[in-house]
Amino acid sequence: MKKNKWVLPYLKQYRGLLFLSILLGSLTILFGGALMFTSGYLISKSATMPESILMVYIPIVGVRTFGIGRAVLSYLERLVGHQFVLKILSGLRVQLYKIIEPQALFIRSRFGTGDILGVLADDIEHLQDFYLKTLFPAIISLIIYSVLIISAGLFSLPFAILLGCLIGHILFVAPFVSFLYFRGKNKKLKHGRNQLYQQFTEAVFGISDWIFSGQTKTFVQRYEIKEQELLKVDTQKQSFVNYRDIMNQLIIGTIEIVGIYWASDLTVSGEIPPTLIAAFGLVLLSLLESFLPIADGVSETTSYQESLKRLDSIQINNMSKKEIKAIDISTSPIFIDLNNVSFGYSDKLLLDDFTMEIKQGERLAIIGRSGTGKSTLLKLIQGVLSPSSGEVKLNGIDAYQLEPCIAKIMGVLNQKPYIFNTSLLNNIRLGNPDASDEEVYEVSKMVQLDEMISELPQGYETNMQETGQRFSGGERQRIALARILLQKTPVVILDEPTVGLDPITEVKLLQTIFDTLKGKTVIWVTHHLIGVEKMDRILFLENGKMAMAGNHSQLLEHEERYRRLYKLDRPFQKV
Amino acid sequence: MDRKMISYQGAKMVLSLLAILTAIQAAAIITQAYFLAQAISSLFGGDLFLNVIKDLLIFLVALFVRQVLTVVKKNIAYDFAAKTSKSFREILLEKIFQLGPRFTREEGSGQTVTLVMEGIMKFRRYLELYFPKMINAALIPGILVLYIFFENVRSGLILVLTFPIVMIFMILLGKAAKSKADSQYESYQMLSNHFVDSLRGLETLKYLGLSVHHIEKIAWVSEQYRKTTIATLRIAFLSSFALDFFTMLSIATVAVFLGLGLINGSMELHAALTILILAPEYFLPIKEVGADYHATLDGKNAGNKIQEILNLDSSLPKQETLAPWESASTFTVSGMSVRYSNEEKTGLSDIQLSLSGSKRIGIIGASGSGKSTLIDVLSGFLTPSSGEILISGKMVTSLCQQDWQNQITYIPQQPYIFHDTVLNNIRFYHPEATFEEVEAAMEKSGLKTMIDELPQGLETQIGEGGRMISGGQEQRIAIARSFLGNTPIIMFDEPTAHLDIETEAELKETMLQLFEGKLVFFATHRLHWMLEMDQILVLDHGELVETGTHDELLAKRGYYYQLVSSKMEGNL
Repeated sequence: MKKNKWVLPYLKQYRGLLFLSILLGSLTILFGGALMFTSGYLISKSATMPESILMVYIPIVGVRTFGIGRAVLSYLERLVGHQFVLKILSGLRVQLYKIIEPQALFIRSRFGTGDILGVLADDIEHLQDFYLKTLFPAIISLIIYSVLIISAGLFSLPFAILLGCLIGHILFVAPFVSFLYFRGKNKKLKHGRNQLYQQFTEAVFGISDWIFSGQTKTFVQRYEIKEQELLKVDTQKQSFVNYRDIMNQLIIGTIEIVGIYWASDLTVSGEIPPTLIAAFGLVLLSLLESFLPIADGVSETTSYQESLKRLDSIQINNMSKKEIKAIDISTSPIFIDLNNVSFGYSDKLLLDDFTMEIKQGERLAIIGRSGTGKSTLLKLIQGVLSPSSGEVKLNGIDAYQLEPCIAKIMGVLNQKPYIFNTSLLNNIRLGNPDASDEEVYEVSKMVQLDEMISELPQGYETNMQETGQRFSGGERQRIALARILLQKTPVVILDEPTVGLDPITEVKLLQTIFDTLKGKTVIWVTHHLIGVEKMDRILFLENGKMAMAGNHSQLLEHEERYRRLYKLDRPFQKV
Repeated sequence: MDRKMISYQGAKMVLSLLAILTAIQAAAIITQAYFLAQAISSLFGGDLFLNVIKDLLIFLVALFVRQVLTVVKKNIAYDFAAKTSKSFREILLEKIFQLGPRFTREEGSGQTVTLVMEGIMKFRRYLELYFPKMINAALIPGILVLYIFFENVRSGLILVLTFPIVMIFMILLGKAAKSKADSQYESYQMLSNHFVDSLRGLETLKYLGLSVHHIEKIAWVSEQYRKTTIATLRIAFLSSFALDFFTMLSIATVAVFLGLGLINGSMELHAALTILILAPEYFLPIKEVGADYHATLDGKNAGNKIQEILNLDSSLPKQETLAPWESASTFTVSGMSVRYSNEEKTGLSDIQLSLSGSKRIGIIGASGSGKSTLIDVLSGFLTPSSGEILISGKMVTSLCQQDWQNQITYIPQQPYIFHDTVLNNIRFYHPEATFEEVEAAMEKSGLKTMIDELPQGLETQIGEGGRMISGGQEQRIAIARSFLGNTPIIMFDEPTAHLDIETEAELKETMLQLFEGKLVFFATHRLHWMLEMDQILVLDHGELVETGTHDELLAKRGYYYQLVSSKMEGNL
């Protein structure tokens, strides 16, 4: 278990709180025991019918103190424990973010479509339980155990050893066996659950196929069979826990009897007064109960390992720290220069000896099938990837070196810009956190959102997440475009921003985009030919090479293939 | 008490069985305390250990009985929970299939998966915990305190009086905590979701150049979150503090009064000890009700959510026997309307439509025009609010007809590729198809070159976690399914919207072959397809504004003409 990175440093950092929490936890249990001890002593002493009530005055005070003290201590313990855990949660969040941030643009390609980020956030929350349900109780139990054995040892060594063995069974053997048993079962369950997840996800995403093929009944049957298999494993776990619990309880009963025997033995030999027999009997009952939850806590550790494993898996080592060049080139015109750039592996080159120049203010459309290297090309220009050979330069500086401050040079409008769970105003202002409200209003007007926003009951203060459904795809793109306008970069990359929009919305959005981006370099990846007439250059990528290039009229004149595609895309256009 | 619980099948039986077992258990608890106290008091009185062994053995047996009963009760609840959740799941799954893709789209696919997978599990856990806990709390304290009254009235009174005090304080403090939490709910939600929100939007933050400095914000928000949470917990924990405090105080008071009773000789040590051992047992079931608070709450909510879905209307229309679609078949829709309860969404109003045989029907309109609603009605996923549908003279109220749906192949924007082999993906609709039949379909759909290049050919795993295939290839697999099934009706819903123009061009040739001799519904934004259609349905704001061939519609210079010219103005 690689606890080192996600657990240990925090234990060290917050050792004060950790210590306090454990101290309070131990005292809570000891006070509970002390309450029963003094109560037992109190009534035994009273049973000797002392002449005055003053004879039992001290135990009476003790009973009250321990009773109230226990309640207070337990309250404090819970608060301190949560304080500790929440501090760690803060730390873990920052830590996770620091690891993910440099690879932000690769997460999607590395982990596929699933919501890996949501899962990781959950994993971190899940680690809280490790402290609260496993670590703290385990340490506290060990402390109580030691206190118990040592105090028994003060009276009699053999009894202390016997007690140590019996409680050891509850404290060490039962949790260890549970851990081993659960590890196998949990693995099986986890595996089965994952399969069910996958099966069911397929049913939901392919629901139409199931309905049209008339196979829904088959699906439900198959699914239920699998569920029943898992239930069987669950039932095995359950009955294991049952046996274990009965066993533990019997051991507690036995310890109780042994304790009473020992106490009566001590009275017979005169080492302790008979008034203490009841005290010993009651304190044992109370303390032993506190050992019972340990087995469950320890056997759950397998699930934390799962989380830790996943957290470790996002680590990548080859992200070398880049030297940040203190160059401010954001104001100057940007000249992009790709020289004999290749990228990929020897058997499959995504880009193959690619050369291209883009001047400031040029409008370039890139078209190609999926997998022809369009997104690789964009990543190279953004400096996110470094070419296998050749060079990508922005004003003569290596793009890869410039990457840390690339956001000053390039804005990106992609297919699904993320809208954050905050106000519309804040969402737009993300483009430039220093922008005044007036500047935000201005760019909103430029992207033609102002009318729509003024009709919202809360205007710019509308929270985006709650009303997210109300904003259409086109409107979301306009919000993202407004951000980019605030960002004021000389270069803007458009990565298929109009996919899924209907033709009218698409044309209007493109109109706005090109109007507002006048003077900026525009690198636009698109999958069809709407709007290409406005481009200075249209580039067709194929197998990592430039298949054809030129502006619309050049291509139309010289390229048969382009004519054919244009005819297909614009069947009603008089060419 | 959650009333719904009783209504589940077998719940009453389980409840009464649990009640009987719990009563026996309470007796075991008393026996246990009685004999332990007896042994201790005898020893205190100077008896030899040998003489009390019998008492201690009875104590041990009572303890054993008590634990065995706990296990038996747990098992009864477990079985009941497993059975109930199983039947719930089966009904839920069937319901989801009945509600169809409209439901999963609205509810969110991820949401639906989580509900069925996690929701049912939480619900099961809730059922499992709920009954034993409630029965324990209802019976055990009562029986124990009865016995205590019998032994010593004063102790009984103290314990009985504590009960309402504990309850009142727990309720009051619980309410205070809730109102405190409610008043901060919004900021609390914001703070707790901020981290996930940041991670999901990381790509965007990166593009905006904010991602590096965002670390400070995350640290700050997390600290804020911690402070708010602790402030809420301070009050929330008070409720269990009250329980603890009064329990402990009550036990301490009982002990003191027992002591006083012993001093003035009004009672014996044995009775006093028994009461002292029983006192914590008296409070234990109440404490347990509060434990697993979150598991209980989650399970209850999940149960309610499931019930909500089960209550949705999905009654199947009367199933008619429909003849297979052929060249002489006719299909007429008159006065068909769809109204949504949600006013913001446009439905369909007063659609008239008639077609026959192997026609190609194009469906076109801006987003929000009712295109997908129409496709859903035609697919039988949605029952129209009014109107008549005649299929070759037979009237149906909805197309949710087995005989109709079985004739359809559905090809959406992104056909779902199952995590399985290419072979099984192609023959998904017809698992019985032979290898040769699949190969023939594969060749017709233009998949042969791609599949020949795969290391394991048709046996290669594709879909989530398998070999990645492109959007165009996904469409070809859907087309192969259609070739294999040879269904007379094909429903296309934006099949090429996300494909690049060249892939679309290649795909078009294959698709046109598939159209031969079939009834084709084709909804799309890509206008060039309209040239291939026999009839075009033009939708605008839920109305069928125009219908006819491409040439007819152009000549009309109506809405279709506008749509087409907006595309022509694509040169901006």
